[in-house]
Amino acid sequence: MDARRESEPTAMKNRTTVERKSDREIVVTRAFSAPARLVFEAWTKPELFERWWVPKSIDMTLLSCEMDVRVGGGYRLEFGHGASRSAFFGRYLEVTPHSRLVWTNEESDDGAVTTVTFEERDGKTLLVLHELYPSKEALDAAGTGAADAMGETFGQLDELLASLDANVGRSRL
Amino acid sequence: MTLTGMKKHVGVLEEAGLVTTEKVGRVRTCKLGPRQLKEETAWLERYRQLWDSRFDELDKVVEQLKRKEKIDGRKKRK
Repeated sequence: MDARRESEPTAMKNRTTVERKSDREIVVTRAFSAPARLVFEAWTKPELFERWWVPKSIDMTLLSCEMDVRVGGGYRLEFGHGASRSAFFGRYLEVTPHSRLVWTNEESDDGAVTTVTFEERDGKTLLVLHELYPSKEALDAAGTGAADAMGETFGQLDELLASLDANVGRSRL
Repeated sequence: MTLTGMKKHVGVLEEAGLVTTEKVGRVRTCKLGPRQLKEETAWLERYRQLWDSRFDELDKVVEQLKRKEKIDGRKKRK
């Protein structure tokens, strides 16, 4: 094969967009430079899913990840955060290989129904994640929670970056 | 509250960017202002960053699957 390869598109970062579609709905999109079946695989195989779901920058560990990816099948993710533990669980409402996944989030009464679609075009995949919450308040609370987690993360990142100055190349990330 | 007091109150909110007002005839209508919108945007931006960092990791996983498939495909063709 040519040493330069077929101009790897990996260098170009795909952009994540978020849009609040309505009081109760939020939509996240992102393109991936890979066929839909591979992106779908990464969402449906626990050993792959657990490698990307928790951002490295968040102070949380995924302790266990069980997924029975079929209509009516359940999933359960357990997280550790310091000494505390929390679980996220629900069930799959729709499973259409390589194109569509729908699941419930049942850890609280305010949980959303999440729909993820994978649309392949010219070897690239457009991923659209849609979350429908039972109420505006539920979406506000979920968003604030996520934003807070990230806020904390960025604070930690600042500290980390400061400490890296003194300790280049020994990152614990 | 007196009308003058109310006007003053709304004026302060308006200066702070929390409301905007529009006067049509004798009626002045108040709306939530740009600052409230900005807070909503900040919220969404953090939310976006959460997904973005997840998806950056997902990118790596997917790239690895892609490479593996290429190698496996080449082996099969031999």
